[in-house]
Amino acid sequence: MAGTLEQNRIRPVPVSQLRRVCPPLTIDPESGEKAPAMSAYLGQERAINAIRFGIQMEHDGYNVFVLGPLGSARHGLIEELAKEPARKKGAPDDWCYINNFSDPERPRALRLPAGEGSKFRDNMQALTEEIRLAIPAAFESDDYGNQLKALEAETQKELEGLWSSLQEQAASEGIALLQTPTGYVLAPVSDDKVIDDKEFDKLPEEKRKEIKKSIERLSEELKARIETIPKLRKVHHERVRTLDRDVTAHAVSVLLEDIKQKYQGLPAVLGYLEEVQTDIIENAQEFRRTEEPALPFLSYDSTALFASYEVNLIVSNESDAAAPIIYEPNPSYPNLVGKVEHRAEMGALLTDFRLVRSGALLQANGGYLVLDVHRVLGRPFVWEALKQALLTRQVRIESPAETLGFASTTTLKPEPIPLDLKILLIGERWLYYLLCVYDKEFSSLFKVAADFDDDVERSASNVEAYARLIAERVRESELLPLSAAAIARVIEQRARYADDSERLSMHMRSLDDLLVQADYWARRRGADQVAIEDVTEAIRQRDNRQDRIQKKLVDAIKRETLLIDTTGECVGQVNGLSVTDLGEYRFGHPVRITATTRVGKGDVVDIEREVKLGGAIHSKGMMILSAALAARYAPDVPLSLHGSVVFEQSYGGVEGDSASVGELCALLSSISGVPIRQSFGVTGSVNQLGRVQAVGGINEKIEGFFAVCKERGLDGSHAVIIPRDNIKHLMLTEAVVEAVQNNLFSVYAVQTIDEAVAALTGMTAGERDKGGEFPADTLNRLVEDKLIQFASRRKQFSEGAGDDKGHK
Amino acid sequence: MTKDTSNTRRVMLAVTEASSLQVLWRTAMEHMSGERAELITVFVRDDRWRRAASLPFTEEVSRASGGSMNFTPERAEEVDRDVVMRTQGRLQQLATDSQIQSAFEILAEHEAMRLHEFVRSESDLLIAPSYFKRRPFYSELARLKCRILFIDAKNMITDPEDY
Repeated sequence: MAGTLEQNRIRPVPVSQLRRVCPPLTIDPESGEKAPAMSAYLGQERAINAIRFGIQMEHDGYNVFVLGPLGSARHGLIEELAKEPARKKGAPDDWCYINNFSDPERPRALRLPAGEGSKFRDNMQALTEEIRLAIPAAFESDDYGNQLKALEAETQKELEGLWSSLQEQAASEGIALLQTPTGYVLAPVSDDKVIDDKEFDKLPEEKRKEIKKSIERLSEELKARIETIPKLRKVHHERVRTLDRDVTAHAVSVLLEDIKQKYQGLPAVLGYLEEVQTDIIENAQEFRRTEEPALPFLSYDSTALFASYEVNLIVSNESDAAAPIIYEPNPSYPNLVGKVEHRAEMGALLTDFRLVRSGALLQANGGYLVLDVHRVLGRPFVWEALKQALLTRQVRIESPAETLGFASTTTLKPEPIPLDLKILLIGERWLYYLLCVYDKEFSSLFKVAADFDDDVERSASNVEAYARLIAERVRESELLPLSAAAIARVIEQRARYADDSERLSMHMRSLDDLLVQADYWARRRGADQVAIEDVTEAIRQRDNRQDRIQKKLVDAIKRETLLIDTTGECVGQVNGLSVTDLGEYRFGHPVRITATTRVGKGDVVDIEREVKLGGAIHSKGMMILSAALAARYAPDVPLSLHGSVVFEQSYGGVEGDSASVGELCALLSSISGVPIRQSFGVTGSVNQLGRVQAVGGINEKIEGFFAVCKERGLDGSHAVIIPRDNIKHLMLTEAVVEAVQNNLFSVYAVQTIDEAVAALTGMTAGERDKGGEFPADTLNRLVEDKLIQFASRRKQFSEGAGDDKGHK
Repeated sequence: MTKDTSNTRRVMLAVTEASSLQVLWRTAMEHMSGERAELITVFVRDDRWRRAASLPFTEEVSRASGGSMNFTPERAEEVDRDVVMRTQGRLQQLATDSQIQSAFEILAEHEAMRLHEFVRSESDLLIAPSYFKRRPFYSELARLKCRILFIDAKNMITDPEDY
């Protein structure tokens, strides 16, 4: 076999290229401490510069979208990059919500210099405490009591005057003014005694008339005076109220003067204090209320009276602190925008300015807010609210229910607070591109894209830097130090994770997972250092935890439930290599591809596509190979072939074009009748010109076929054929490399479909000579002859059909 | 065992519907403190209502609205009943609050001479509102053989707590 391959200039991939080994790295165990702070972001210069640009750009819309896969340590980088600008910016102002005395449903926002918010809140609290004592004391004073008594005496005198004059007038006319529980009665008297009907009848007619007239007149006068009483009472209450106001004003102004002095430079605060003073004076009588409530369960809470003078500090900063860098891990609407809470009282939900709560937008105001875009988009109303805040440059705290008109309880409309912050969204690339396409406002709000690289070039200097990065993360996580060989093993795994022997993955979460798990295995065996076998064990154990389905597949092949031949030859049948991705774990396995051909109209049927199990890329690959077939063979005759290709025993979807080399080889085998070696597996895509192109998951595919062959016993005949362009991606397991070293397994790399089919059949493909003919005894010649034969037969059939018609 | 009351001083508190009970009661309590004394409250019915109601043209003018309605004998009876009940209730409450026991008697104005029956000795005391001096039965009060104390209680119109 080797001879045939050699004859066809197909050489095995050298062992050294199957796995690019990293030499042991002598790293100072303490070198982590010397590692530059940004070493975790090796090779991310583009993203770093973009984030720096976004952070420093002061104009509108220069918010940053950090693109990259999950686990690439973007949060840490943003914090690192924002730290210094945040320090330079300094702490932003504090914000409070205060009562709006003229419209309590619209609490007012009050801005104070950083660090002053909490002081102002405390000052107001102390003030209300003092007022709570001072006002009742003022009202309990003798001075107030005397003034109140004087007012009451004055009113009493006026009332007495009102009645005594009427009584005197009535008495002078022989009429008594009697009082009943609900009113007054005017009755004639004689000798201080009310006259009854008998006595009245005895009076002369003239006298009776006179009495009646007097009573009528006095009755009208009585009614007039009764109407005066409420006015007198009102005047009295006004006098008492004025007195109360004067007393309160005196008590309060002294206390407020002190606090006003402290805020001379803040007109907004002074204005608010004036309003507080006016409100206290206006409500002076409330503060002296001591009576019990009408109902026992309506407890009288004197502190509630002063609640409207409290300060709801919603953003508080230390004066010497840096600008905030806030990461909100759960950006729900309330957590982002803020909310208005309610308290239940007597079965009703009530609220006031004290129950306004700030969200991350206000907490980060004046600084930087970091959000995960998938969480923002996944929570109702949040994306729109975020955009609204950025577009209007203010935060309006209201519930989504209220915005949509669903709120039925009393709620507030707090005054919006101006917003000046930088948003840094972190998300995967596809989300960025989707937003660019589907959200017209997105691009104007997030003008800076910081695109994280998934991996970094595996240069000597980068390998050294990566080793330092490993040491740093080990130190940060307080793990056991790694031996030089273990570090090298980790670096090899990072290349494997990147699917490229020439690159190193920058996916930090998976690196950390590997380090932590290696540390676990090292500690378990009582070591004080992580050795290479610990790293290997961590990888092996992780695979073991996740390879259930892979093991099932291999077992099914072993038990010949899934039919895969690894020996012998077969026409129109090839072992394709497939990869199954389970998210955190990928594995490869062989798939039987078969092809059948007959005379037809030049179509190749992709059964996967016909039954809608084939994806778009797979269908494209099939069409390309059909075109390649038509272009390469018998170009002067119509392609009179009907071929069909299928992935046998595949019941799920098939996607990708990496099987197109295998599919074309199966077709060529079927057309030519030349059998294909079943000890081979093949992967690769093919273009219309017959060039074999690189595919993904190359390592898993090789290892998948190797696992099946190994299960059945390696004898040196087994091999895989891969695209030559994939050699640089090879980072195969030690087991595969060892088998190749021992000549038990081979990996061949091909560049053309001719090389691939020659390797699979053992027959030279053949190239056209000067006359345009394929040499005799070559596979291509057999294929072309067969296709010409199909065309001839088709022509014969067509003519026969015409003759039949003519006979009719 | 019979309680010896021979040395017990008797305090009589005469009230009408228009009296400030708080003031009168307080005065009575002051005069009873530190002594062996018993209290009799005497409600003097106002005959004037009944007499006024007998006249067909008498009207009652509402204090609240200034409106008027006929003041009939039935209405006078109703007012009288209401006042007696209310006064008795308030006096009972005052007695309960003061933790003393008191008797409650009702007299019509023309029965004022019955007050003599309540007086046992010259050391007894009658407390009455000062406006009793202007009422027809004052002459009977003046003849009582005990001390009499008239209290200048507030004018009935500005003393709403009694109603």
